[in-house]
Amino acid sequence: MATATYPPPPPYYRLYKDYSENPSSAPQPPPPIEGTYVCFGGNYTTEDVLPSLEEQGVPQLYPKDSNVDYKKELRSLNRELQLHILELADVLVERPSQYAKRIGDISSIFKNLHHLLNSLRPHQARATLIHIMELQIQQRKQAVEDIKRRREEAQRLLKDAFVTLDGQ
Amino acid sequence: MDIISQLQEQVNSIAAITFNAFGTLQRDAPPVQLSPNYPEPPAAAAAATTTTTTTATDGDATAAFPEQPKQLSADLVKAAKQFDALVAALPLSEGGEEAQLKRIAELQVENDLIGQELQKQLEAAEKELKQVQELFGQAADNCLNMKKPE
Repeated sequence: MATATYPPPPPYYRLYKDYSENPSSAPQPPPPIEGTYVCFGGNYTTEDVLPSLEEQGVPQLYPKDSNVDYKKELRSLNRELQLHILELADVLVERPSQYAKRIGDISSIFKNLHHLLNSLRPHQARATLIHIMELQIQQRKQAVEDIKRRREEAQRLLKDAFVTLDGQ
Repeated sequence: MDIISQLQEQVNSIAAITFNAFGTLQRDAPPVQLSPNYPEPPAAAAAATTTTTTTATDGDATAAFPEQPKQLSADLVKAAKQFDALVAALPLSEGGEEAQLKRIAELQVENDLIGQELQKQLEAAEKELKQVQELFGQAADNCLNMKKPE
């Protein structure tokens, strides 16, 4: 009596017909995607990189090579920041209408500072990973030692047991 | 909380102090006379009285204004010094990326070796455990039905 109004199930259920006998007959899950893909209209890429300063249209105030000396750059940027702030103060007194350039410089310094600090993260991450692996190696060494000792103890206990058993 | 986040916080606080410093300085600066022989505008007097009524709580602001820039700049410098202190505490990143990747690879190899070692020890321990259990079983049976062990 029940008049079914729902649509039939999707056709690919036939692929799993004899899944119970041997699971390999069913198609494997699709491999993870590499490279760009589209999701909800937005297109993404699988590898994440930190967009460089130029891409965001900000002048880069420190050298670009890979192993830059962070501490020196951070200190110099900090000093420049202080200088620009003082300059801004002067500008606001004498020529207040030209505040925009100083503000621009100051904000680009801030951006550089943040970008520099962000590019330190990978370093920190690798260092953390190294630290974790060292910790694990120690834990495993202890585990190995521990098991060796317990096995010897067990051997000794057994021998004593045999000795006492033979004794009486 | 790690040092890089501390550095980022410090940068933000420097920005905030800068922002506040300029804003308040501009907002609270008392008007100075353009030149001594310029007459006092009548509206300013009224403005002076109204400002007193509106922000009654910091009524002392006009009196206290001269030492405010000193305090603001002191804060700014202090924040900058703290930033330098934090930068100094950063670890030296010797050798950059390659050194770290190499170190990671070594550690991985070492990790695998110890992993196998641990694996062997575990299997050996399990084998001995099973042997001891069998022996114990036989011994128990013998005790139960009064046979002497050989």
